[in-house]
Amino acid sequence: METIRNALDFSDFPRLDLTVAGAVSIAFVVFPLFPHSAFAMATMIQFLMFSLYGMGWNTIGGYGGQVDLGKAQYVGIGAYTTAVMLIRWDVPFWVSMPIGMCLAVGWSFIIGYPLFRLKGHYFAIATIASTLVLKDIFEVWGFVGAARGLEISPIKYNPPDFLRLIFRDDIYYFYTILGFFFLGIFYINWFRKSRLGFQLRSIKDNEDVARSLGINVHWAKVKTYAIATAFVSMVGSFHACYIKSIEPEDTMSLDISILIALMAMLGGAGSLWGPIIGAGILIPLKSYLKEWLGAQAGLVGIDLIIYAGIIMLISAFEPRGIWGIVEKIRRRTRS
Amino acid sequence: MRSIFRFSMLVFGLLAMAGLLAPTGALGVKEVKIGVIYPLTGGAAAAGRELRAGVELATKIANGVMADLPMTMAQNSGIKNLGGAKIKLIFKDHEGNPTLGADLAKKLILDDKVDGILGCYFSSVTKTVSAVCEQYNVPMINASSTSPALTKRGLKWFWRTTPHDKWFTKDLFELLKGLTEGKVQGVKAVPKKEIKNLASACEKTEWGSHVSGLIKEFAKEYGFKLRKSFLYAAKSADLSSEVRSLKASRADVMLFASYTSDAILMVKTLKAQKAHPKVIWGQDAGFEKPEFRSTLGDSISGILTRTVFLPKVVEIKKLAGQVNALYKKKTGNDLGGASARAFTGLQTWVAVLEKAGSTKPADIQAAANAIYIPGKELVVPWKGIKFSTSGDELGQNILGSGLIGQYQKGKDGKISLEIVYPFDVSSADMIFPFAGF
Amino acid sequence: MDILVGSLFAGLLIGMVLALVALGLTIIFGVMDIVNFAHGEFLMIGMYTGLLTAQGLGIDPLLTLPVAAIVGFLLGIICYFGFIKFLLRGPMVAQLLGTFGLMLFLRNLALLIFGSEDRALHHGLLVGKSFDLGMGVIVSATKLACATLSVVAFVAVWLLINRTKIGKALTATALNAQGARYMGIPTEKMNALAWGIGGGSVTIAGALIVNFWSVNPFIGLLFTMIAFAIVALGGFGSVPGAFFAGLVVGMITEIPGFWDFFTYTFGADWMVDIPMTSFKYMWVYVAFFVIMVTRPRGLFGWKQ
Repeated sequence: METIRNALDFSDFPRLDLTVAGAVSIAFVVFPLFPHSAFAMATMIQFLMFSLYGMGWNTIGGYGGQVDLGKAQYVGIGAYTTAVMLIRWDVPFWVSMPIGMCLAVGWSFIIGYPLFRLKGHYFAIATIASTLVLKDIFEVWGFVGAARGLEISPIKYNPPDFLRLIFRDDIYYFYTILGFFFLGIFYINWFRKSRLGFQLRSIKDNEDVARSLGINVHWAKVKTYAIATAFVSMVGSFHACYIKSIEPEDTMSLDISILIALMAMLGGAGSLWGPIIGAGILIPLKSYLKEWLGAQAGLVGIDLIIYAGIIMLISAFEPRGIWGIVEKIRRRTRS
Repeated sequence: MRSIFRFSMLVFGLLAMAGLLAPTGALGVKEVKIGVIYPLTGGAAAAGRELRAGVELATKIANGVMADLPMTMAQNSGIKNLGGAKIKLIFKDHEGNPTLGADLAKKLILDDKVDGILGCYFSSVTKTVSAVCEQYNVPMINASSTSPALTKRGLKWFWRTTPHDKWFTKDLFELLKGLTEGKVQGVKAVPKKEIKNLASACEKTEWGSHVSGLIKEFAKEYGFKLRKSFLYAAKSADLSSEVRSLKASRADVMLFASYTSDAILMVKTLKAQKAHPKVIWGQDAGFEKPEFRSTLGDSISGILTRTVFLPKVVEIKKLAGQVNALYKKKTGNDLGGASARAFTGLQTWVAVLEKAGSTKPADIQAAANAIYIPGKELVVPWKGIKFSTSGDELGQNILGSGLIGQYQKGKDGKISLEIVYPFDVSSADMIFPFAGF
Repeated sequence: MDILVGSLFAGLLIGMVLALVALGLTIIFGVMDIVNFAHGEFLMIGMYTGLLTAQGLGIDPLLTLPVAAIVGFLLGIICYFGFIKFLLRGPMVAQLLGTFGLMLFLRNLALLIFGSEDRALHHGLLVGKSFDLGMGVIVSATKLACATLSVVAFVAVWLLINRTKIGKALTATALNAQGARYMGIPTEKMNALAWGIGGGSVTIAGALIVNFWSVNPFIGLLFTMIAFAIVALGGFGSVPGAFFAGLVVGMITEIPGFWDFFTYTFGADWMVDIPMTSFKYMWVYVAFFVIMVTRPRGLFGWKQ
């Protein structure tokens, strides 16, 4: 009970934040009722998925200050667990998703335990390496379809199938992921006020001081890493049902890892709204820049150039992201 | 009260923003919209240009009248049974990314309201796009993806005009068998032990891994020994250790499935490593692209590639010659396997629409299942187009066939492809064994 | 036997080439303790520079090396003064993501300008030439040239660092930047110099490599990862370490070759079916991972 109350308690935010958040939430909920293009819908789902990825990353990357560039491997584990179990044994999504989360968390312990002895760039690079290794394995592993990947048959199931999460129209997927999205926000809201959340922030500020306070630094990091992993793997499972066809190249590519980290960084790592803002800016920017500039004018890559430019500016001048700018302005107006 | 008002303004403002993002397609009269999804950028951009040119040429012929071309679609302006409706193409670029392809398909179906889809060259993308089409009951015709699995999924809204890799791979083994039996023009029977050892290197994709599996299967069936078989990462910068591995296997016959850049790199590396197999065979794609010929020059003389169309077909087929001339005028290149098949794909669409006499999906479905296009109307040397409607290969054209071509240096000093298989249409003596680089 | 000797030789050669690629990274890391994720992109720019100069001016690709060196040197300096300098003020996280942004930027700029097609050189003094040394050893002339340059570059950098005044200043900056500043060493300039030398050495490598490898805008990341592996194995910041680590990594990429040797020597059919070639780079990452975890200072590391 206490936990739930804590999760729903947003009272430490300014009223303006809550008004905007409430307005945005309502806009999300009623969005599908208004005329919209399939493209806008797909962008919306992408945005929600990446917000969730970002929230997961934010626990270890933002609150914990450990730059993890290997989240794609957990997207892959989640997606593959769901797809393999559905195709081979007809296990519904709601069962395979938690199993996928368990597997991902298990793997995260194996990877995370030795990895957290490393710090800073060493850690970041090692997470990339572990993703690449896993991807190479999945590309030759026949049980999971090797390089040709897995396809959830488009004709075998009768949509809408709520148990297996097989739908034809995006609107169902939209509300499913929106539900996850709100749950995610509540969870992170609880997490940042939890014991672990405070421990992490003190580790981020100064690891030696944290250790001297009796915090088991290594274990706290590993635990948080597992939480981040569970988030990512959950969305990965959803990804499998949504896309219906997965390949290692697609689900485990480094690009996804980078996108996740950059989005959270851009929005503002270590804050509740940061990853959401980051995804809210970058995903539409990416989709529409690609649509308007890339496809029509043949300017391939222009979307990512602008995007990279933003990242460079942010990291050089305001490492705390857009949320950092917002807070700076606030502090200035207050004083 | 005011704050509630402001709050709801905020909500509406946000929604209006989302709504603004909705591009609405204008409804045209008397046109049939076909969505075409091809890799127009990315690693296969060159192939994409060829495919696009092939489709555009076919559309031009269908929408106008060219009385001297002996094909139905050239005689009518637009689709006769639809009141002369014109074909309108909407091109989308999938960049070789299956997820993006599925998104584009949804967009074409829901936002642009296309009547049908053509594409997508890459088997992996065709897989996701056809799944979307199946769900929305929108017909899709595929003209150039050759992974056998595509038509084995029981899809009812998917038709494929091109023969698939199983046939092509079988052709190869028929050719090898032919070599041992002395059936090949210009080559005396070769003792089997001279070409018994095979090695294959295919790219690590949907298509490549299927080809690799097929080679394994057929090698067993035809009694050859597969000494080495592996997948390599597509778009590699370096293939020297792969090539060394092929050499180490001491294979007499080396088999590849690669797209353009890898195919070029592979042959260059084989040359640098002084490999000397007796037969080199490429599974179409990169091995028959104009770039392959232009960059590697004379050194490719003797390399075999499977294909469905090569310029020599012009000599045995008048229609192909006429279309080839038009294509050459448009692009400067001869028709190739990709462009000829893309052309045929759109031609099939026109024929299906003509037969359906409506753009209702159900009518198109019925028409596609019943269509028969005789071989004399096609540029490709097939017996015709007729889709299988039962069995385990739904929607597969059963009248297609493949060719195996060999690069040979002509009297004019130019490298061109000669037909060596099927044996009855072969246009030149086969070079055997491969002379080395 | 041919296979074994051939693989050993090829591994050594490719190792030297890869060491050359990693040299720039190790200099930058050694001096400034900043990881440059855009390293592979610098290499790509070097490759394009070599390719386009050779094709544009119609000169032999070998003559483009000075051009590439200048381009790389300037690129490094510009990056430092235009961007990296600002990053150094921020936390480590920002440095990491900043260079990542630089990587994305350069990569997509190349995509925009050059398109995504693979390009390769087809003509040149050394292109496509190879020597057969017998015993299954076939050495391509371009790789040999690249390996030779690698040795030269390593010796030159080693001399620069250990035998000149500038080198001493660089080392001092690396060991203790603040202390060096008190001693009157212009650390700002030293940092820029490190970026210049780092950029120049990697673009030279690129201009040579393009003689035997094709280039596309996405090629950078693979080399960034391999360069990281080499630098980590050699000990971050150690120049001789990077050279030997390069050889080790070269050998690791040849594991499929050794596997072939055992397969055919013992006629073990079960070994044929294991797709070792598909794992070519995986062993590099595995080795990297293991070294990082068990011995963060690297095999030959000296810097704490």
